[in-house]
Amino acid sequence: MKITPDECIACEACVPYCPVGAISMKDDIAVIDQDECVDCAVCLKSGSCPVDCIVFEPAPWPRSLRTVFSDPRTEHKATGIAGRGTEEMKTNDITGRFQRGWVGLGCEFGRPGIGTRFSDVDKVAQVLAKHGVAFESKNPVTALMEDVKTGKIREDVLGEKVLSAIIECLYPIEKFQEIITALKEVAKEVDTVFSVEVINRAEPDGSYPLRKLLDEMSMPYYINGKQCAGLGRPLADV
Amino acid sequence: MTHTLHRRGTAENLRGDYALIMLRAMGINDDDYLPKVKEFLRIALRHNPVNIGSEMKGCLYEFLPEEIIAGAKGDSHVVFDNSRALTGFLKEVKEADLGLSVVVSGIFESVDECLEQVGLKHHTGNFSLGIWGKTEKLPGDDILEVTTMCGHGLISTNLVKAVAKEIKTGTRTPEAAAKILAPNCTCGVFNPARAARLLAAMAAK
Repeated sequence: MKITPDECIACEACVPYCPVGAISMKDDIAVIDQDECVDCAVCLKSGSCPVDCIVFEPAPWPRSLRTVFSDPRTEHKATGIAGRGTEEMKTNDITGRFQRGWVGLGCEFGRPGIGTRFSDVDKVAQVLAKHGVAFESKNPVTALMEDVKTGKIREDVLGEKVLSAIIECLYPIEKFQEIITALKEVAKEVDTVFSVEVINRAEPDGSYPLRKLLDEMSMPYYINGKQCAGLGRPLADV
Repeated sequence: MTHTLHRRGTAENLRGDYALIMLRAMGINDDDYLPKVKEFLRIALRHNPVNIGSEMKGCLYEFLPEEIIAGAKGDSHVVFDNSRALTGFLKEVKEADLGLSVVVSGIFESVDECLEQVGLKHHTGNFSLGIWGKTEKLPGDDILEVTTMCGHGLISTNLVKAVAKEIKTGTRTPEAAAKILAPNCTCGVFNPARAARLLAAMAAK
């Protein structure tokens, strides 16, 4: 995102819209810090500029990643869907992606409202790989890995900043404690925040074994969350 | 796309926050799915949603309902601010038997009650373990309760602070302030009714 300096009237209207605080006033014009800007286009789409001097020009690789990971109206070529992740548990009634006895884990970097460099995503992905998780093949972060066995993300994208990027993976419920412990350790080494989620298929009686495990581990979790209502057809036999 | 999962809040203020998504499973039931998504949105309009939206199109605070339905191109979203509306909506969606997946976000206990009332049972759960890492970079909980209602992170902390200041000075009502924030959340999962209450409380401090 850029602001045409000759046209800016210094009204400051665009400044508060930036989700990562990359717009500031310098010498009486609004400027966008190009290193911090994630190319989400919120400033442009807000219509806040009275003289239309905010412009977006598609960037070449690897900066082009900023837009696809930050603007939900763009589509990832790797997944064919808009946004940063996959269908994950939302279509589990149909795909059977998360079966009983397994846990889905998602780490959403940069969320909420901070943004992330891929170098931080890389640190955590490599730790998770060492613990044998299976990375979701349709996830756009997985598509950036040099090798899914190591979790190493390609070198040329590590410095790119995006609004958020999600690691999605799967592992047996028996490994839950081990993986959460490793995640807690590596969390101390990242320079951003990440929101952590876990997914579990309900038992026939409606209980969630993972919830029981979380309670036993005294692991805090939100009172609210997402549940698939089982209305999809054809139902997966899981 | 965990965009309705990590909504921050208290038991009290989350009681008025239910976000739903209808979506197809790629490669399985995505043939001719758009009429079903549009019907999902039409049903929602009969239950007074506080927001609706469709991926790649926009939300109720950018477009008229009929424009969103006509332009629906992908997964679609609906937000209610009370469990009664949610239950009525789920009943009609179940009867319509559209065959696409439906995900309900909200307080687990409340959502389960609504599902049970219409003869549904949760299939898979998604739990938030909160925010990890360098949490000292985060704004206060009062801001996060508003900004996390856009899971894609498109509503900025500074904009929330700016509109809260306008409420405090009496230049904007909480409802009008929420409508400034809402269009930035293009999927339509932002809850302006809850936001107005949260902003009013923030401005009163």
